[in-house]
Amino acid sequence: MSASTFVRASLAVAAKDLAIEWKTKTAFVSSMVFAVLVLAVLYFARDPTSVATIDVAPGALWVTFTFAAMVGLNRAFLLERENRAMDGLLLTPAPPTAIFVGKVLGNLVFVGVVELASVPLFILFYDLPIGAQLPELLLVMVMATVAFVAVGTLLSAMVVRTRFSEMMLPVLLLPFLVPPVVGAVQLTARILLDRPLSELAGWLKLLAAFDLVFLTLSILLFEATLEE
Amino acid sequence: MPLSDVAVTLREVSRRYGHRPVLQDVSLDIGFGEVVLLMGKNGAGKTTLLRLIAGLARPNSGSIERFGSVGMVAHHSMLYDALTASQNLAFFARLHGLPSGRVVHAALERVGLAAVHDQAIATFSRGMLQRLAIARALLPEPEILLLDEPLSGLDDTGTTLVTDMLKALRDRGCAVVIASHQITELLPLGTRVGYLVRGRLETPEVLTNKTPAEVLDRYRAAVARER
Repeated sequence: MSASTFVRASLAVAAKDLAIEWKTKTAFVSSMVFAVLVLAVLYFARDPTSVATIDVAPGALWVTFTFAAMVGLNRAFLLERENRAMDGLLLTPAPPTAIFVGKVLGNLVFVGVVELASVPLFILFYDLPIGAQLPELLLVMVMATVAFVAVGTLLSAMVVRTRFSEMMLPVLLLPFLVPPVVGAVQLTARILLDRPLSELAGWLKLLAAFDLVFLTLSILLFEATLEE
Repeated sequence: MPLSDVAVTLREVSRRYGHRPVLQDVSLDIGFGEVVLLMGKNGAGKTTLLRLIAGLARPNSGSIERFGSVGMVAHHSMLYDALTASQNLAFFARLHGLPSGRVVHAALERVGLAAVHDQAIATFSRGMLQRLAIARALLPEPEILLLDEPLSGLDDTGTTLVTDMLKALRDRGCAVVIASHQITELLPLGTRVGYLVRGRLETPEVLTNKTPAEVLDRYRAAVARER
């Protein structure tokens, strides 16, 4: 299969997933409700006289992103379980890797939209003037999101045939999310404190390494999840 | 059968789920232009055999070779409830590298669903879903077609439409394997019939001038022999 056919198949899978989400909006609404709830709960749990905003905000942001994204990741392969649509995909000439890459792309767009929609709420709740730091924050969001979407999509494929897949995914996924989320929290804290780029470089390299490792391993392992 | 005429070859194929054997030492050659009917009770291994031929599952032992592209209609539609009939077919057409517009319209016309092309398939009846599933399977014009209970949920019009399509496919040289209980409607299409009893396939016999009653008698005898 040529590279262009591979890309076409991946884009078709991603576009199909997004079209379904656009029609149903179930995962988006659930993720956004979850994001608002987490941000609100963490905001009201804080005593502003004893804990500075900057000490809580990065953690609150990434806890929100992580759990809101999990709702969408859970849905990624549930779509293929309905009516055994995955069999239909596997009967086409599209290689399994192209299907997986399509799923990752669809999830990246979904999680990206949820994150972008949550940022204004985050700014509102925590009253943070992050206009100037927004490009750096977006870079961190992209890098951390790639890592957890890659591994989340793989695990979603793994657990989809289990009886309690919606419960299994968080249990399996959270340990893998610790390294990229810790990196993202550290970077977000430094960005919000307007620290120099030299202080960010180490964590950025670490996030880039997680992206590379998680993406590569997920692509290599996906086919094994299809075995009956 | 000359090698060039063989569409699928199975050699001593066995498959088990856990410790439970589902198929045991199944050997079969299926030629292009043949329609092989598979008979067997629920749980006899018919669906597993079709999934193995399709490449959706792997045998625990034995070998399977396919000499053409495969299409399959199974119990489940393999389609997306939230999408319309057109969107479903357009998606699969894209994955097959086909130009979606004209191909999709022609496929929907073929199964009599052109009028409801823009309806979400969640609103479809079982029969309409089955027709759409057949349209999906036939999109890339497969050389090997596997059907699991293809007439399930279809009314008389749908049954006639599907049997006519299968006849045309057989005459075009497509290798067709059908697992079904509705033997009366499918018998005129079949070239051979195989009896699958407790995971073992009796060498399929040629169907020439056999009545449904005769085929059922042979099937019952095969079941009795396995007891």
